[in-house]
Amino acid sequence: MIQHPGILALLLASGLVSLLLTAAGWQGFQILRGWNLQSGSEGQLDLERRTYLVSTLVTNALVIQILSLFLFIFTADGLHAQFVGAMCAAGSLSANAHGYPTLLIKVATCLVAGVWLILQRADTQGHDYPLIRPKYALLLILVPLVLAETWLQTSYLVGLKADVMTSCCGSLFGQGRQGLASELASLPPRLMQPVFWISFAALMVSGVVLLRTRRGAIAFSVISFAFLCVAVASLLSFFCLYIYELPTHHCPFCLLQKEYGFVGYPIYGTLLGGAMAGLGVGALAPFGDRKSLTSALPRLQARLVWSTLFLALAFTLIVGIWMLLSPLKL
Amino acid sequence: MIELVHVEKTYQADLATPFTAVDDVSLSIAAGKLTVLKGPSGSGKTTLLTLIGCMARPTSGRIHLHGLPEDTLPELKEGDALEITSLPERFLTAIRRRTFGFIFQQFNLIRGISVLENVMLPTYPTGEDHQRVEASAIQRLEALGLARHLRAPVDRLSGGEAQRVAIARALINDPLVIIADEPTAHLDSKLSEDFMELMGQFKSSGKTLLITSHDPIVYGSPLADRVVEMRDGRIVKGS
Repeated sequence: MIQHPGILALLLASGLVSLLLTAAGWQGFQILRGWNLQSGSEGQLDLERRTYLVSTLVTNALVIQILSLFLFIFTADGLHAQFVGAMCAAGSLSANAHGYPTLLIKVATCLVAGVWLILQRADTQGHDYPLIRPKYALLLILVPLVLAETWLQTSYLVGLKADVMTSCCGSLFGQGRQGLASELASLPPRLMQPVFWISFAALMVSGVVLLRTRRGAIAFSVISFAFLCVAVASLLSFFCLYIYELPTHHCPFCLLQKEYGFVGYPIYGTLLGGAMAGLGVGALAPFGDRKSLTSALPRLQARLVWSTLFLALAFTLIVGIWMLLSPLKL
Repeated sequence: MIELVHVEKTYQADLATPFTAVDDVSLSIAAGKLTVLKGPSGSGKTTLLTLIGCMARPTSGRIHLHGLPEDTLPELKEGDALEITSLPERFLTAIRRRTFGFIFQQFNLIRGISVLENVMLPTYPTGEDHQRVEASAIQRLEALGLARHLRAPVDRLSGGEAQRVAIARALINDPLVIIADEPTAHLDSKLSEDFMELMGQFKSSGKTLLITSHDPIVYGSPLADRVVEMRDGRIVKGS
């Protein structure tokens, strides 16, 4: 199974990203320890030169890291035919104990990587490396996450055995079973529909308030993350039912299949992209006083707010249109 | 004003044969004045010019620019000093384009294209209006007595003409500082004196001039406000 192109690409990518980030993490540690822009010492000038290379390497590595989440889901979906009982990625991921932990940690690293890329973007807008310390501090958090992910993913992919008996998504995300997935799927649509629309409205209102008053960046960030959680719960609770036109099918992975127009990819892409941008707004909030970012930071934050709102709207339109066009009525 | 603080440039620092071209140079270069860096070949004059002109970074030390216009960089206020050795490359490019005009020893004109195109070349990345740039280039070339060569390829120019084209090119972005590296090395005495006369005009118009030379016509000129003598990468006189 290890010869599957998706698995080879994932192993190669995670190995490469881990290698690059470990090297960059060491440089980051040196920068955090020895950075002093007031000094003209050889060591300081050397750090200034190296930070270009390190930032460029990390930026490219993290773009690969984010894309690898989608490749992972795509590969897991493609592998389901190898396992007895699996109907989609849900079954492939439960083929051994490392599948779901890998997915969760990949989502987490994807969000942190997005925030790092936003900090990096902001840092390059100032002429005096205004965010160099927070940027590398976050990198030092990211490195163990990526290494843990590489270990989990390798354990999962290398440990896959064909013809293993696994569970189908109907069983994993069925109502009345134990576990978080099942509990989320069991959330009553009558409760979740208003919760979703309230969280959507809260996101829109907080975004508009932030754009108009330049206040409430942290609140907006928290709301955007809450929107991600509520949207995923809503997807499991009721949006999926409309898409599958089945009142009992809550699987979040079948959406990724051709039968449903691969609608899962834009759904999860808009959700994760929006959450990254929203978290980025809050991550930048403490640095508004950096002199060299006085005008660049509000501009970048405004762009991120617009991105969050646009992506949340895009997500809502995608699932909303499926909901309206679905013959299923709950 | 340009202020250098303990600037050092070592080539091949990581190898067994490091070479220190500029060694612990601290210097203040006054705005609106003509400063000459004098010294024999290998004394570090050209290396120092490349460091000041943001074409290379020092191994250690800092270089501060004072009196830059507000719009040179975002968030820069009138009167702020800007430390250029630490600037990220994208900001350094902006400084290089807007603050310095370079006249190289070998002129470095692009062969095969016309005099006018050579002069306009530094403005292309700035996206300025082409017609306005062309008018400005023609005006500068006419002022330097090159009106009849506008459309001629630079290959056909004499040494003195080629240098005046290089001067026009250095001025096209209206820089605050003109940097000239051994500008009279390939000119006879008459052309060298003409060159210094031109430098005098630029000085009168408020430009800061920094010239490296071991030509007595340059460092002995009454136009030179200050002569800094270098040897073995160090300032030995005039600091």
